[in-house]
Amino acid sequence: MESIIKKLEEEIAAFAPETKSEETGIVRATGDGIAEIDGLAGAVMTEMVLFDPSFDRSLEDALKDPEPVYGLVLNLEEDGTRAVVLGDSSKVYEGMLVRRMGRLLSIPVGDEMVGRVVNPLGEPVDGKGPIKGVKDTPIEREAYGVIDRAPVNVPLHTGIKAIDAMIPIGRGQRELIIGDRGTGKTAVAIDTILNQKSEPKESRPTCIYVAIGQKESKTAKLVAELAEKGAMEYTVVVTAPASSPAALQFLAPFAGAAIGEHFMNQGKDALVVYDDLSKQAVAYRQMSLLLRRPPGREAYPGDIFYLHSRLLERAAKLSKEKGGGSLTALPIIETQENDVSAYIPTNVISITDGQIFLESNLFNQGQRPAINVGISVSRVGSSAQTKAMKKVSGKIKLGLAQFRELEAFMQFSSDLDADTKRQIDDGRRMTEVLKQGRGEPLPFEMEAAVIFAATNGFFDSFPPERVNEMEKKLQDFLLREGRGELDAIKQSKEIREGTETSLKEKLERFVAANA
Amino acid sequence: MADYGKKLAQLAAHDEGRALAAAEKLVKELKDRGELKQLPGILRSARKESARQRSLAPVVEVGRAEDADAALRAASEAGINAVRAAVNPTLIRGWRARAAGVLVDRSGKRALVDLYRRVTR
Repeated sequence: MESIIKKLEEEIAAFAPETKSEETGIVRATGDGIAEIDGLAGAVMTEMVLFDPSFDRSLEDALKDPEPVYGLVLNLEEDGTRAVVLGDSSKVYEGMLVRRMGRLLSIPVGDEMVGRVVNPLGEPVDGKGPIKGVKDTPIEREAYGVIDRAPVNVPLHTGIKAIDAMIPIGRGQRELIIGDRGTGKTAVAIDTILNQKSEPKESRPTCIYVAIGQKESKTAKLVAELAEKGAMEYTVVVTAPASSPAALQFLAPFAGAAIGEHFMNQGKDALVVYDDLSKQAVAYRQMSLLLRRPPGREAYPGDIFYLHSRLLERAAKLSKEKGGGSLTALPIIETQENDVSAYIPTNVISITDGQIFLESNLFNQGQRPAINVGISVSRVGSSAQTKAMKKVSGKIKLGLAQFRELEAFMQFSSDLDADTKRQIDDGRRMTEVLKQGRGEPLPFEMEAAVIFAATNGFFDSFPPERVNEMEKKLQDFLLREGRGELDAIKQSKEIREGTETSLKEKLERFVAANA
Repeated sequence: MADYGKKLAQLAAHDEGRALAAAEKLVKELKDRGELKQLPGILRSARKESARQRSLAPVVEVGRAEDADAALRAASEAGINAVRAAVNPTLIRGWRARAAGVLVDRSGKRALVDLYRRVTR
């Protein structure tokens, strides 16, 4: 109580009314989360405005509901402005006073956000109280230029064998995860976050998971999963659920990028997952139509490409002079009927540095993760792979492509020549090795050892249908008896001659014991 | 198509007589051309412009009637010239003035609301 009295006394002592003018407007019309405002002639694009309910109410009424509602200016017109309401739009009414805030849309950002769940305005929604040590940061900013960037050459391990071996992702890269609903897109992203736990603390990226237009139950489940597996220690969750206004769903990825940049600018690594940008595009389309902007293809506004390009361009690997931090982006896009040639998928494919394509057919056939390696690609390529992974994964993609070609003949396998049959069996074995359950990311050294075993024929003595089971047994075996080799790979990031020899010996022992 | 409603409202703000005459001529012209169906749109536009002008017109409000003269003088110094001040008891004391999208608020209510927000922040 003493502190409250002291604060009140200080405020009263400091009270000195002064004649200062401020620019205001009046709400002319409102509806669907959009307010048409007369006045605010000096407002700028994406400036924040405050809808002030206290202006035309008595003091008593004004203090009953003192929470102001904020808005974001998005249309500057000849005779007024249009703003989207960030919050409860039912509180905005015709004739309401609107004040300019004189600053672009900013959110509080800081190190203390790690482990928290926030909304796109940076306000905590996890019931753990206010976040301390935060600083207001504009959520939109220009991406770093060419001079400030360095080439992407440090790997970001996802813990998913198929990705780390064939579609390597580098720190600072933008890799799209695309596929129909229910094909495991979110699972790939979450496994990637979970896998960062196996990274040393000093080089572990801070992860930001941005949930856009998702069911709150799904987000709650993911947060619980991350917390249970200890991943919330280095993760921030930004959530704009399906029930939130379109404006917040549109802003959520930008808020995620601003939080990620905070860590990147400190010279640290950050990973941001946008789940998913299709829903953000839909939210932006809704806002644009309500703002009376002309619709284009599929009714999306003309600047929908710019919306995604300016967001994803903020992913970067900074030069040493700029601190050497990085922001890796994993945007997710949901397709309809595996159609990657629709408007938004083609846009985002062209913006990103590659894509991981998940197919419902493969998913239904039991291949998890359901990655179609034929059309998945990482444009950064092997420059973002460790020597160990480069060495073991060199020929997998080619082998699997040949297997897919021959797969159609599998049903006539009795009539096939020995060579073709061997190729098909090798492909089937490799497919089995690359299968991986949800929430089971593997540390990089284990991935390298398993793929080494597969590419060097150590699974050849097992029938393809037993390979998956044997691969799991091999992991247990290596954890028990191959610790030295795994540690050597982890330390040196390569498979040196000595390690290779001893690893082969261990693998031979494993095969002999299980034959 | 020219925005007749907006032009009429703007003309009415300066010269109501001329605006009325113009409106009569416009209705006759539309009738002759068989385009009377445009009238509801013109009316909507005129109302919108009129509301805009009202919201941007100079207004001075005072908490108590005895503060009116001082408030008008102070508002004038701040660049807002109104003919008279309206009494708005919700202001408690002091005054506020608004014109062309600029607000000067020296009312007791604003000071108390700001104080409340700072203390409870």
